[in-house]
Amino acid sequence: MAAAFHQAICGNQLHGYNDSLSSCDELRNFAMMPRFSCFGTSKIPLNKAKCMYNHSKVFVVRASVSDSIVSSLDSSDHDSWKMTDESALILLRHGESMWNEKNLFTGCVDVPLTNKGVEEAIEAGKRIRNIPIDLIYTSALVRSQMTAMLALTQHCCEKVPIFMHNETEQATLWSQIYSEDTKRQSIPVIKAWQLNERMYGDLQGLNKQQTAERFGKEQVYKWRRSYYVRPPNGESLEMCLERAVSYFKEQIEPQLLAGRHLMVVAHANSLRSIIMYLDKLTPQEVINLELSTGVPMLYIYKNGEFTRRGSPAAPAEASVYSYTWNLALYRQMFDQMSP
Amino acid sequence: MAATTFHQASGTLPSHGYFNKSSLHHKANNASIRLITNAFRVDIGLSRSGIYYSKKRNFGVIEATSSHTTVVNPVSTPLSKNNNGLNKKSNEAALILIRHGESLWNEKNLFTGCVDVPLSKKGVEEAIAAGKRISNIPVDLIYTSALIRAQMTAMLAMTEHRRKKVPIIMHNESEQAKAWSQIFSEETKKQCIPVVTAWQLNERMYGELQGLNKQETADRYGKEQVHVWRRSYDTPPPNGESLEMCAERAVAYFKEQIEPQLLSGKNVMIAAHGNSLRSIIMYLDKLTSEEVISLELSTGIPMLYISKEGEFIRRGSPAAPTEAGVYAYTKNLAKYRQKLDEMVN
Repeated sequence: MAAAFHQAICGNQLHGYNDSLSSCDELRNFAMMPRFSCFGTSKIPLNKAKCMYNHSKVFVVRASVSDSIVSSLDSSDHDSWKMTDESALILLRHGESMWNEKNLFTGCVDVPLTNKGVEEAIEAGKRIRNIPIDLIYTSALVRSQMTAMLALTQHCCEKVPIFMHNETEQATLWSQIYSEDTKRQSIPVIKAWQLNERMYGDLQGLNKQQTAERFGKEQVYKWRRSYYVRPPNGESLEMCLERAVSYFKEQIEPQLLAGRHLMVVAHANSLRSIIMYLDKLTPQEVINLELSTGVPMLYIYKNGEFTRRGSPAAPAEASVYSYTWNLALYRQMFDQMSP
Repeated sequence: MAATTFHQASGTLPSHGYFNKSSLHHKANNASIRLITNAFRVDIGLSRSGIYYSKKRNFGVIEATSSHTTVVNPVSTPLSKNNNGLNKKSNEAALILIRHGESLWNEKNLFTGCVDVPLSKKGVEEAIAAGKRISNIPVDLIYTSALIRAQMTAMLAMTEHRRKKVPIIMHNESEQAKAWSQIFSEETKKQCIPVVTAWQLNERMYGELQGLNKQETADRYGKEQVHVWRRSYDTPPPNGESLEMCAERAVAYFKEQIEPQLLSGKNVMIAAHGNSLRSIIMYLDKLTSEEVISLELSTGIPMLYISKEGEFIRRGSPAAPTEAGVYAYTKNLAKYRQKLDEMVN
């Protein structure tokens, strides 16, 4: 079952990853300063290393449209924010859903956001408006997709997120874009069931109070808060973790390695799973990990390592948030652009 | 394809007609006269015009000016003593059509078609405003296209609905998707509104013009040619769909999937796009191909139809809460609204 799904949704292979490593080394031999181009105002010499990526088929994404959009990210010198050795990873947990409000177990039932969840998404967007984004991953559930799209309405860069379609030949064909310029101004959005919330089996749709009464508080606590225990016909955190982290390693991490800046919008358990991998947590530690809703978490990927950089400040917050040098430069670009 | 899977999905989510509640029967029979008065309990004044027009045919009814009300006069509908299960006996159902608001490519003046572009800030606001207008109209079932801008419009609109039922998107793309999205509480299912996504309700596919800006395209192909593609009935853009082709798949879907639901008394909302909705309206209003070309449906303004005994009656656009407008609900809709008022108070 899972295999069929996998084939349908992510039919891509990862080729020749190792071929790129030598070019990475060569990259580092270039000047220490990162080279970058402002949008259309390229006064600084272009990054010569980029031509090494141009015809590389190493880093594949989902469908042919996204292939052409993402490859144009390499060939375009003006529109993508390239940092030689560092890429940004934003993790965002969606806000309140209509079943959160009603205190029902949700799992993989596709429930949308409430008004509050919509606001949380917009606020989250304001926090990350200055962080570069080349590619977005969401789950197959509308609440994470809405969160991503609402957040992006706040972004400074004016690029347009475009959902990739490959569920059928027709879907792929019908969603084609025929302007190179437009593609360069696009951010592909990839939906993946592997990033879905933990599937809660027979508890889905049940009221939390009723469930405690029916099965006993202790049992419910075990289902919700242990690592290995699964609700009847549902997933344990371990199972959720397995499919989420595999997806991350196979699909998402290579993009980071290629220098692309990513945002992953998903759910409590799928994100905890990823964070467990990024921060090398133990099962004991991950059980106690809480990721706030609607508050983006930034990681920097550099030299194969993930460094947590906390949560970018909201515009109205009086707080200290230190950008990396590259991110500060990216941000400064927008400050200079706006009147 | 969609039919069997949806029926399977909807089989697990029985939508109980709101009017089946026995408490409502009781109130309805005793308070019928009072309810008629309530139907007109709206502010008199100027209402919005230009919501929906066609150059060839007089839809003066829809361009609701202050002196117009919409078509059916509820007072003339006879009150029958047997009229208990209001929805079922009269087999009346509401059909709401909503065209999504501004997308990020609308903003940039690019041809969109089936490229899956999301809403702009303005489009988000339009969706919420649309939701306020239909907050009192019963919805049992929602259909959207496969594109996020229509889906978001539907979900945002429903955050405003007073009945507080929860829209749930149906998944049937694989066995696993279906299994994983199951709901295990009957009570919860009753409070759900199934949402069906259908590519047949997608915007007209614009072929090789998708992603081009309108200026670029006029330069590349010539203004006249572009005008023909955009405004003719049966000429498709290169590798794209003509309006006729779009109408064919949209109306076929409507007849096969949506109309039976309406005939069984289910209240339906369709959130879709300019061309797919025009196609459906062409069918509902029996327009000719010349008439449909000049049909414009405003973005973010819901259009209400009543489906009754196989006929579709256009009821215009429900007023926004802050609007001073005249909008006459049908008797059934007025009762539903009153019930919501009682729920809140």
